[in-house]
Amino acid sequence: MSRPEDLPDPERPDPQRPDPELPELAVPDSWRAADDTLSDGGEAADPTVPPGSAPWLAGQRSVHGLLRALYSADATAREARVQSLLERIDAERAAATAPADRRAGRVQFLVAAVLLLAVGLFAVLPERLPTAAAAVQRAVAQLARDVDQRYRLEMQGEGPAGSDRLRHEFELVTRPGMRLRVAGKLALGTFTLGEFELGCDGTEFWIRGANGLLRRSAPVARRGELAPGIADFLDVGYLDVHALVRQLPEDFEVAVVGSEAGPAGERLLHLQAERQRSGRQPLLRKADLWCDEATGMVVRIEIEAAHPGGARQTLRFVHLGEAEQAVDYRRPW
Amino acid sequence: MVAVDARDLFEILAREHLDGVRAFLLASVRDPLAAEDLLQETFLVAWRILDRYDRKLPFGPWVRGIAGKLVLNHRRKLGRSRMLYCDEDVLLHLDEAFERFARLDGDTFDDRLEVLRDCLHRLTGPQRESIRLHYEHGLHCKEIAVRLELGLEAVKKHLQRGRAALQRCLRVKIARAEEA
Repeated sequence: MSRPEDLPDPERPDPQRPDPELPELAVPDSWRAADDTLSDGGEAADPTVPPGSAPWLAGQRSVHGLLRALYSADATAREARVQSLLERIDAERAAATAPADRRAGRVQFLVAAVLLLAVGLFAVLPERLPTAAAAVQRAVAQLARDVDQRYRLEMQGEGPAGSDRLRHEFELVTRPGMRLRVAGKLALGTFTLGEFELGCDGTEFWIRGANGLLRRSAPVARRGELAPGIADFLDVGYLDVHALVRQLPEDFEVAVVGSEAGPAGERLLHLQAERQRSGRQPLLRKADLWCDEATGMVVRIEIEAAHPGGARQTLRFVHLGEAEQAVDYRRPW
Repeated sequence: MVAVDARDLFEILAREHLDGVRAFLLASVRDPLAAEDLLQETFLVAWRILDRYDRKLPFGPWVRGIAGKLVLNHRRKLGRSRMLYCDEDVLLHLDEAFERFARLDGDTFDDRLEVLRDCLHRLTGPQRESIRLHYEHGLHCKEIAVRLELGLEAVKKHLQRGRAALQRCLRVKIARAEEA
């Protein structure tokens, strides 16, 4: 089997082959085409791998991995990885020593939570509530104002088997017209991966990592190609809050389920939207909205989404007010 | 003599090998999030089956073996779309490449990456520039082609030839380290 690694080394020239580029020139085009490390946007390469190409592909792949590691080396992230791993190991050890106690505690907690929900919710229901349609209309009118609204966005993802896999927390600024900007850290469990920014100016979707490793952009329609692991979970369909709320009555059965006090004592109207028919966002299953009864503004949104393959996701938007300074939604490079 | 329990020993091994296994996974998996996920899973599995590890043998190949199996499982679950092409043959050669890399001079994986950085400085202009734009700035080949006013295929060849040159440079340095 021909192995390009075994061809003469340019730094130890073979008199018959003095040209340092010669070994690489001998690589067949079919091998180069099978090197999917260079396929843009995450598309799969040709599935047929030419016979005998594995050593060359692995050689390319090894340097590819080393270069990715070189340009993403970060002492803080490394320590976070170690700590995350040790925490998981310690948790497993603790679980192994007292599994029965933990299960019993979890069941008790769930029972208490269900009781609280059942009793508490009916206790706060006023005699007469505004219609859900009117509340949504007021919220949409508020969100349609041409101003930049700030939110804290908390996101949790769960794999098909139900294990916690992703936990993210971001700052989101959004404005009608699919203009949005998100900044924050990505995390897996307790492990923080790194900071990144993502945005959309209405036509172009972009993403960049704070460490410079990732910097990509694409038209909105092709945003899924940019960073599959991220774009799946951060779909502009969710992040464009105005469009999200405006769309709810079309695809969901929206009902007012309660009225409760907010953190500053304000009265909040709690709306619940359950999917009744397929809509433009087939992944979105359920949404809860809390609207300020005085202003009509949505101050909190919680949505549940289910992904093909069984992964589930919960997003919580907490309104932080209007941005004090103008926000530039365009790609920053 | 201070007693070291299994967890303490494992922490030492994890700190020593985490970066190397991460690079191995970044060589095998396209999605950086999936690579991080697999990295955590690899070391968790290693912890769970630590009693099967023969302490007379090096830890690196053993833990990379676990990573390789998880990569193949991950590939079966996701299909090709989010993966680099990785069958057992490619993974075997990849493991050999990382084993060779571990023979470079240096106490840590970072020290060995510095050797790679030194090799990078020896590349020719377009190869070095293409690699810098692709890996440091995260540009796609198409974007690099526009930036460098080159054809797409030319950029891909610069990247592939640049990586091959880096591989050769590393081989020479490994040979020198072993001779020394």
